[in-house]
Amino acid sequence: MDIGPLKRVIEVEPVSLPVPEELPEPERVPEAEPAEPAP
Amino acid sequence: MPEPGTAAGPAVLAEAIDAWRTWTLAGSNDGLDVRLYPIAGTGKAWPVREPVLGRCARRRSHAVPGLDCTCGIHATHTIDILRRTRDPSVLGTVALWGSVAEHEHGWRAEFGYPQRLALICQLCFWQRGGSSSSCDIVVRHRGGRMVPLCTPHLDLCRRYGYPVRRVLEASTVERAVLGAYAVDVLRLSVPSASGAGIGDHAVV
Repeated sequence: MDIGPLKRVIEVEPVSLPVPEELPEPERVPEAEPAEPAP
Repeated sequence: MPEPGTAAGPAVLAEAIDAWRTWTLAGSNDGLDVRLYPIAGTGKAWPVREPVLGRCARRRSHAVPGLDCTCGIHATHTIDILRRTRDPSVLGTVALWGSVAEHEHGWRAEFGYPQRLALICQLCFWQRGGSSSSCDIVVRHRGGRMVPLCTPHLDLCRRYGYPVRRVLEASTVERAVLGAYAVDVLRLSVPSASGAGIGDHAVV
């Protein structure tokens, strides 16, 4: 693919990166303590 | 007064540049784990959810994009120029940033990341362009390479002996691509009378 002759060079410094954030790790739900038997 | 980005030094933009690009596609047997690959260059998959870093395939020790080189992440101003690319499976827009070289018909950039993507039937794309190149199925070859096709071109391929080992639903594979890169689908419409849109096509 020929994109033709070079015209100029630009510095692009986006305020926010156009990249989706990594998905957060799913929160681990602590296992419930076994219920104490009712007296 | 000198042109910005020439004698006065590089112009500085605060928003990423949006441009057009095509990729090849490869993935797992079930089509659920897929990655974009450059059509030319290193042959490495584009990483998901992290910036893609332009590299010099000639291993030159210069900053990318080199002014006397062809390195960097390539993208174009319009879709039509991409119709000349070999084996395009995915058409989309890509955000470019960092140091960016502007050429007459496109860009070479230091960093990039896809923004909107669509699977395309490459035979329709070569013949008619992006607005009428939707696909129905994806042929998965041995080794993982994937070729999206419309139903008429799948029939044509079978008739002429093109190897069709495994056929997947295009919608399944497209969802997997969009999910992996966490981007939206690219929808193409016919050119508007007002000339709105990028290049020869409007993006919906």
